[in-house]
Amino acid sequence: MKRIASYALRVILYIILVAPLLLFIAYAFSTRWFFPQPFPTEWTLTTFQRAMDDARTLSSMAQGIWIAILVSLLSLILALPAARVLGLRKFRGRQLAWLLLFLPTVIPPLAIGMGLNILFLRIGLAGTIAGVVLAHIIPTLPYTIFTLSSAFARFDENYEFQALALGASPWHIFFKVTLRMLAPSLIVATLFAFLISWSQYLLTLLIGGGQVITLPILLFSAASGGNPSTIAVLSLLFIAPPVLVIAATARQLNQHGNQIRELY
Amino acid sequence: MTTVNIISLNKMYPNQPAPVLKDFSLSVMDGEMVALLGPSGMGKSTLLKLITGIERPDSGDIQFDGSSILGIEPNKRGAVLMFQKSYLFPFLNVEDNISFGLRVQGASSQTIRAEVKRMLDLISLPGIEKRKVGQLSGGEGQRVALARALVTNPKLLLLDEPLSNLDTEVRMNLQEVIRVIQRELGVTTIFVTHDLGEAMAMSDRMALLLNGEIVALDKPENLFHRPRSLAAARFMGVSTFLNGDKLTVKKEASAGASEKTFAIRPEHIRIQIEACKNSMQGVVSDCVFRGEYVEYQVAVGEMSVRARMPMPAPMFPHGEQVYVKFPSEHLFEVEN
Repeated sequence: MKRIASYALRVILYIILVAPLLLFIAYAFSTRWFFPQPFPTEWTLTTFQRAMDDARTLSSMAQGIWIAILVSLLSLILALPAARVLGLRKFRGRQLAWLLLFLPTVIPPLAIGMGLNILFLRIGLAGTIAGVVLAHIIPTLPYTIFTLSSAFARFDENYEFQALALGASPWHIFFKVTLRMLAPSLIVATLFAFLISWSQYLLTLLIGGGQVITLPILLFSAASGGNPSTIAVLSLLFIAPPVLVIAATARQLNQHGNQIRELY
Repeated sequence: MTTVNIISLNKMYPNQPAPVLKDFSLSVMDGEMVALLGPSGMGKSTLLKLITGIERPDSGDIQFDGSSILGIEPNKRGAVLMFQKSYLFPFLNVEDNISFGLRVQGASSQTIRAEVKRMLDLISLPGIEKRKVGQLSGGEGQRVALARALVTNPKLLLLDEPLSNLDTEVRMNLQEVIRVIQRELGVTTIFVTHDLGEAMAMSDRMALLLNGEIVALDKPENLFHRPRSLAAARFMGVSTFLNGDKLTVKKEASAGASEKTFAIRPEHIRIQIEACKNSMQGVVSDCVFRGEYVEYQVAVGEMSVRARMPMPAPMFPHGEQVYVKFPSEHLFEVEN
């Protein structure tokens, strides 16, 4: 009985998660789907083709991916030292440091965006990719720091001491020992940063000021236009990179997870 | 082949009231194994950190073959470490772990293969080159860690309680393995432990460490039989101390106040029913059968005397009136 209930619950959850996707697919690849018909009658690629033919679609995707990659790299570089100290050391003001680093998750992005907009206009970063990248780091940093600091909390510095005593240089230790040991968490942190940046609408709009067009911007304007087929195509394109990235790393994540379980 | 001189080291941590190391000096001869014995938190691990260069001393010097190493980068000192845990890199197999130091030095793959094979033969685990670290047992892991440490021909091997995580049987076995390999390669070694038996079994000389200072330094057998100071004697398991001047002690042990203090090892004390020379009357408060010996606790006046007698030895019930004999030939004087 209990098993049936849990099975049913799982099925319901899957339906809730998958239903909107199915609806998107139905809209994206059909024409003339009107009210009384329960399913689309004519399937076609034309809407999809039309969206792909629009130069803005691909360029906005490319731009979004580039921005997301830059944001992930930069926030990793910024997060590593902070995460290391927060994860490995106990010091006065540690709580305050946590609070400051986590503020972006509680402060409304609109407030940050407005302030940044004024600042970036003054220093000439508004409407540039660099400005958007910098703005995206604000919401991504707390997540990368949090992921990496919990990895550092489980990390034992004696591995580094061993490598040092065996003659390795600090750079060698950092790249060949520390980063290797943290690899699973690094992948997770990068994923977080990538996804947050990829799906960022508000900050891109405020800082990009219509100059930097990413897929969410395009999607929002299409959504206000009201053609369900276009919305559906863009939504599917919007979902595709995260799904692909997660699918590509799932195996490695699982492997690393097993490795860690073996270790402890 | 290195002689190590540690000269008047001082180390204090900012938030601690007392220094971890106080005017600490120690000389280790070429190829010698010196054990540092002391309770946890007595500066043993700090000393190893200072030698490897992970931390810097407040004052004093550390010399290898007469020249100071304090100015040398930690990764160029040639002092290798082996900890309680093996700290083998989980993402490398056994061969790559052992050859880590060689690769850093830029050794050729031919040298690496030959050296790894030689080390694996030395630790009696031949043919496990491709094994994953996760598949090794605790003892095997420590052997591989030893191989990894020694493959680069280090000047100094530092052992930080390397056996304390292992089962008794594996530990006994590894004590021998480490000792044999250390002698064979002739590598100068400092061995930190809190286990008296282990320190005695493995070291050429033993340093007793208390509050950041060495209270005694000698061969294990000398320290065991004739520790010079009260603190050293306590370390070596002596718990019975008698005050008196030498003549009266020889004739009749007494617990009265006097200038000199004498000590006696628990296994030299005799518990018997009849009174005799050099004996005192007491009441048995505990009597434990330990297999190879019987351990007694006897209350003699204010003093509680711990004694051990080899089997066969009589068992006494709690509260039994007995005589505790301190054979004069086993009494030795200790400095207070």
